[in-house]
Amino acid sequence: MAELQGLGAELSEAEKAGVEIVAVSPDPNEQSHKMAEGLHLGYRFLADRDLAVSRRYGLVHPRGGPNGEDVPRPATLVLDRDGVVRWLSVSRNFQVRPDPGDVLRAVRAL
Amino acid sequence: MRAAWLAVLSVLLAAGAIVAYVLLIRVPLVRNHPEGYVIAFAVALGLAVLGVMRGRGRRWPAWIAVGVTGALLLAGGWFNFVLARVPGTGAAVRVGAPAPDFTLPDAKGRPVSLAEFRGKKPVVLVFYRGYW
Repeated sequence: MAELQGLGAELSEAEKAGVEIVAVSPDPNEQSHKMAEGLHLGYRFLADRDLAVSRRYGLVHPRGGPNGEDVPRPATLVLDRDGVVRWLSVSRNFQVRPDPGDVLRAVRAL
Repeated sequence: MRAAWLAVLSVLLAAGAIVAYVLLIRVPLVRNHPEGYVIAFAVALGLAVLGVMRGRGRRWPAWIAVGVTGALLLAGGWFNFVLARVPGTGAAVRVGAPAPDFTLPDAKGRPVSLAEFRGKKPVVLVFYRGYW
């Protein structure tokens, strides 16, 4: 979650209005809702309970969860207004996330 | 140098590495270099071994430090280099290609489609493992 907080902290108010941050995880809605309120960042948290979307994006780490369940690979994508991927970062180590500064540079370069 | 001092230094270095990593997890430089704590554990083990081999005075504290820092090095190395490693299967998405559309429920249970933002806003799409 650290990358989401970092991203929100570095965005100006105007930028928050001009970009949609969509966070996808297998979290139940209730969890995401609590977190969304706690962070006050205006992100959309979407629940991909069965990982169908993560799978379609090729972003599943098989048996990578703490109990051996499948989990999403941590990944960040920047899409332009036409929905085309303009920047992509997929972690090779689940502790490692893209620097919010790099994500913002990709957004500002659109 | 006294073996006991090397033992204390060794354990302090290892504990300091854990505390620094936890406290600074939001700093990208720290979070994105998890091998840093593994290196700190290795240096701490080196100090403890130095205490056992070359230290003056009582050696048992240095032996304890060898045990503690050795266990941390094994556990930390296994976590960082084995457990946290994500298999490198290629993502199905690539730069320059359209992102596949999807509809998922938001935090209030309302369905949200990626297509809603098309022609309106750029989207930062973040996949993450969960709240933990």
